[in-house]
Amino acid sequence: MERNPLRRQLQLMRKSLFDQGYLDEQFVQLEELQDDTNPNFVEEVVTLYYRDSARLVLNIEQALERKPYNFHKLDAYMHQFKGSSSSIGAKKVKAESTLFREYCKSGNGEGCMRCFQQLKKEYATLRKKLEAYFQVARQAGPMETACRPK
Amino acid sequence: MAPAFPSGDDRADFGTGEHKQFSFHDIVLRNRLTALVVDGVDFCRLVEQGFLRSCGLETQGVNNGDAAVELIASGAKFDLIIIDMFLPVMDGLETTRRIRALGERCKIVGVSAYIGENDREAFLAAGGDVFSEKPVSPEVLIPILRELDGQYSNI
Repeated sequence: MERNPLRRQLQLMRKSLFDQGYLDEQFVQLEELQDDTNPNFVEEVVTLYYRDSARLVLNIEQALERKPYNFHKLDAYMHQFKGSSSSIGAKKVKAESTLFREYCKSGNGEGCMRCFQQLKKEYATLRKKLEAYFQVARQAGPMETACRPK
Repeated sequence: MAPAFPSGDDRADFGTGEHKQFSFHDIVLRNRLTALVVDGVDFCRLVEQGFLRSCGLETQGVNNGDAAVELIASGAKFDLIIIDMFLPVMDGLETTRRIRALGERCKIVGVSAYIGENDREAFLAAGGDVFSEKPVSPEVLIPILRELDGQYSNI
């Protein structure tokens, strides 16, 4: 049990992100790439993700404003978006991306719209939670890298 | 000093009670292996190369299929190529076909955000070896690396 209050808070925040389904295994893999030579790797990757994916979100929004819907284009944008979101372990965002594709395949424009609204909520919520998490991580300061139990 | 991320048992079960089977740190290579990562998204490439380097591979990355084909055509040799199926300009399937057309016989792993049986069959028909959901997991990659390294796989 972590005695340092900030690190304990960090542990609880992290556990909550997984328990509530915001993050999956891929995030753990990213954490394992973080070391003394790349001390802020995870935060940097997440920052790049939000920067890169903002363009895709805008593209999808614009595509959903044009009727009739170009489902092929929407699917292509979401394909990219899902790949990026999966790469940081964004579990709920990834799930909505998968659902969006199903709506594209069935030509369900209303479904795409609803799904996209939910996706944007999850995307924004995850961003806020991760920003808060990284802020506490920075405040908690550096610590010894623990050995993973075998 | 490493950053203040939770460690030990918390990392082992990532807070869900489930235990990971593999980590990219689980492998120790005996030989020098090289890999090319072909992914149009910069941070995805960064992550994929990071995982491979943590396994001990030397890596190069390119952001499109044309660049990958040019690199192979110039004589660059790799033990492993990881190709995202969704690439700008020339997609992953065509990139795979062209790499094979150059006579390159290394292991090619195709990754895609969406994987269906048709996608897998198309990739294998193009000359690919393993088709995986993106991002490629240690469960998929480690057995491949062990095979390339000439190790016995006990998975």
